[in-house]
Amino acid sequence: MQEHIIHTLQDLRHYALGKGYEIELFFHEEDSYLMRFANSAISLNTNEHLIRLDITAYSGRKRAGYSLITNLDKVDEMKSGIEAAAGMVEHAQPLNYQPTIPAFAESFADESGYDPALAGMSSAEKMAYFNQAAKGLETGEIKLSGIFSSGTNTIAQITTRSDHSQVFKTSDAQVSIVLSHVRLKWEVTAEQSAQKKADLDPATLQRELAFLVEHYQNDTSQQIPLGSYAIIFGPAAIADMLKFMNYIAYNGGSMKRGFSFLAEDQAGKKVFSEHFSLIDDPDRLETYPFKRDLTGLVRKPWPIVEKGIFNGFVWYQDDADEFGAKPTGHTVTHKSLVLCGGDREIGSLEELANLPRQQDLLYIPFLHYMNIVNPTKGIITASSRFGALLLKKDGSVVVPYNIRLTQSLLDIFGDKVAWVSKSTLPYNTSDSYGARNPTAILVPRFMQVNGLEISHSNSSY
Amino acid sequence: MQDQIKQQIERLRSQGATYVDARWYPFEESNHLLMWNGNLKNASSSRESGIGIRVLYMGAWGFSAASDLGGLAGLFDQAFDNARVAAERVTFPVRLAEKEAIQARFESPCRINPFEVPLEDKVAFLKELDMKLDQKGVFQRICSLNFVRKQVVFLDSEGSQIEKLITEVFVGLQVNGLDDHGETFERTFRPGRHGLSRGWESLDQPFFAENAERIVRELNQVLAAEVCPREQRSVILLPGIMYLQTHETIGHALELDRILGYELAYAGGSFVTLDDFGKLRYGSEKLTVHADATLANSPGSFGFDDDGVPAQNNLLIDRGILVGAITGRQMVEEANATARRSIFSGSSGANRATAFYRVPIERMTNINIDPGQDGTLEDIISNTGKGILLDGDRSWSIGSNREQFHFATEIGWLVEDGRLTKPVKNSTYKADTLKFWNSLSAVGDSSTWEVKYVDNCGKGQPNQVMQLGHGVPVCRFDDVRIGE
Repeated sequence: MQEHIIHTLQDLRHYALGKGYEIELFFHEEDSYLMRFANSAISLNTNEHLIRLDITAYSGRKRAGYSLITNLDKVDEMKSGIEAAAGMVEHAQPLNYQPTIPAFAESFADESGYDPALAGMSSAEKMAYFNQAAKGLETGEIKLSGIFSSGTNTIAQITTRSDHSQVFKTSDAQVSIVLSHVRLKWEVTAEQSAQKKADLDPATLQRELAFLVEHYQNDTSQQIPLGSYAIIFGPAAIADMLKFMNYIAYNGGSMKRGFSFLAEDQAGKKVFSEHFSLIDDPDRLETYPFKRDLTGLVRKPWPIVEKGIFNGFVWYQDDADEFGAKPTGHTVTHKSLVLCGGDREIGSLEELANLPRQQDLLYIPFLHYMNIVNPTKGIITASSRFGALLLKKDGSVVVPYNIRLTQSLLDIFGDKVAWVSKSTLPYNTSDSYGARNPTAILVPRFMQVNGLEISHSNSSY
Repeated sequence: MQDQIKQQIERLRSQGATYVDARWYPFEESNHLLMWNGNLKNASSSRESGIGIRVLYMGAWGFSAASDLGGLAGLFDQAFDNARVAAERVTFPVRLAEKEAIQARFESPCRINPFEVPLEDKVAFLKELDMKLDQKGVFQRICSLNFVRKQVVFLDSEGSQIEKLITEVFVGLQVNGLDDHGETFERTFRPGRHGLSRGWESLDQPFFAENAERIVRELNQVLAAEVCPREQRSVILLPGIMYLQTHETIGHALELDRILGYELAYAGGSFVTLDDFGKLRYGSEKLTVHADATLANSPGSFGFDDDGVPAQNNLLIDRGILVGAITGRQMVEEANATARRSIFSGSSGANRATAFYRVPIERMTNINIDPGQDGTLEDIISNTGKGILLDGDRSWSIGSNREQFHFATEIGWLVEDGRLTKPVKNSTYKADTLKFWNSLSAVGDSSTWEVKYVDNCGKGQPNQVMQLGHGVPVCRFDDVRIGE
């Protein structure tokens, strides 16, 4: 199959060269499968096989694109797409900078992230996974929801600048299981990200869900007072906040356009907590990495923040072209973010809840509907969801109704960080509105931040 | 092709499928242009075609989609196989509300096909606007044009055959500036309905130029403004934020699939329960809301939904009382059975998919608030003691059951004793949804009513982005927390 793809792209390249066009081809093939559960039933069982071809044409400083959903045997259709892009670029307006056309120095193919066993999982296996993860937990009032989303992604590239190509193939799975009370409206979740079939572990999810359900059924639920709390964030909350940092923190183009809370003169300075070390690490297969970027640059582990010290901005090729910066190998559809674990040996929520504590601790595993209130100050807002707990200092546990947090990421990841757990896990942050783009961030299981204000507290679920 | 699709539908029916439908897209084309600080950063087009097949078997759905119509029989079989698997875990067997078999055609109003307009003209349009925005105080200027045109053929096993040709035009202008402290602020203009058709002719240059000048002027007001106070006031929402308030805390909250728990694994649920229909006081008596898919010239008007149900104009909230929801054929049956009463008399025709490769789900149409009796914007301001006038969506975040929210707006103007006093920056407001709508104390008349477009409503797994509209007047709400 890979040979067929490369052969087709080379054919198209020769066609473009023969016409005197400068083009870049980005091929994307997905086999996507989704089993969705709601109200304890399978509400949707779907699969899609789609091939997209994105063609970018260049003419001096002019650039235009044409995309199509197509098939490998429709070479004439793809050539028509090239003609369309080439036709458009002639009428485009020149940029005020010279865009870079990738010229791959060598061919590169990476299938290290592809697991045929995961890609080939049957519907029956997926259903068995769900049955095991929810075993004994569904009742007449507690219903199962969730998804098992899995797929195979193949990306291939070629340009008229060289006859070398790049191919990346990955398999991925994102599992999310929700148990919710029909009448009381509480909801708890357990999630898993898998790059290979062996990563799938429904028994762990079942334990996590059972623990939460027990507390949600038996502990007091209440509206907690507004004020300052020591908050322990779980993996979903941490990953979501890091995802937003990707937009408004260390991206060079965002900084130049005024959408970053970090400034150029902060590079090399301590900006975050010494417990905070963030790396873009393409060696971590759990993050569905790109080991070369889409311009052909070799990607190596890239420390963005080391023990709180901000190392500097990362640059997409186009931003680097526009602002005269040096590209850093980050022209990818997603980075491979790793927030390093700390020294606190806490591996599970059960362990966390059973530890003696000197103060009340508000555990927030998940932040719902995060948005940026003020990019320059790094202020985000979001609500808690899915299994928050108030771990009282007397050892008891209270189930808090959802709360809202409106805070600066500089505070959340700054000197208020008390500790970070040693154990880490990949949290799947895939959000594929268009083409499948499996994404995961490796995060600590827990991170405690002291002195964070909650700005709203619900009076019920 | 239609005959081949019909044959496959009949074949699956003969093999035991309860219901089969297909949405064939002979084409869907789009054209995006983005000019950023005078640079044409994006000039791209796309074209796709394909088919999505939905099969109902033993009370469960199966779906499959592909762009390659060569293996049509295999694709129908795949959808059927997916339904067979799903049928192994059914709690409430899917059944579909009655509808008529319809043979019909719908075409959205469009006089000049934007895909026949030369690229040079589109670039020139953007360039002219970009020059208008290139003024003192503006640090970043962004102009965008998005065109979509698609043909959809719907066929089902109940005998419906519907063809739709839909054209959409979306335009956006944005300016950003930095205040004395280096803080970024923005002002945007995203026009809603302007005229009664939506082709190239809707790009009325003087109208856009006028609004370009306005947002630059208002951006400079924000840059020089004081910070919004942190206190309790009446908030007066202009259509530029009122549409989003309606969207997030009425529209999404009243999608029946959310109410029934079908979005709990992702987008969330709703504070609304089936018991609430007919009795929940959602808002003050000044609040009347319709879901109107028949509104002329809006992306929320599409002729027929993807169940093949005709567009309708339904009451959602009647003088403050919740009476209706946004529904498709499947959910109304389940809701009525679950509630053990007939809440819904049939589908409201709001089941839509964003592409051939996505399955239809409940989506907003045009969720509109009726104009009120409280006069013009000037009348409402003059009748407000201590308030703030707000416009522009800068940030929005809503609780998972749509029970509470936090919005940041692009600009605010304080109102003191019936007069606008000064602009403020970093204006925000937050509240509990029901408390907020019940504090609705003034609804502007038809002079304040505008139809705003939404081109990026996200929902569902797999994710889908949908286009729709909101007709909203200026509204005032009392005792709201601002500046937090």
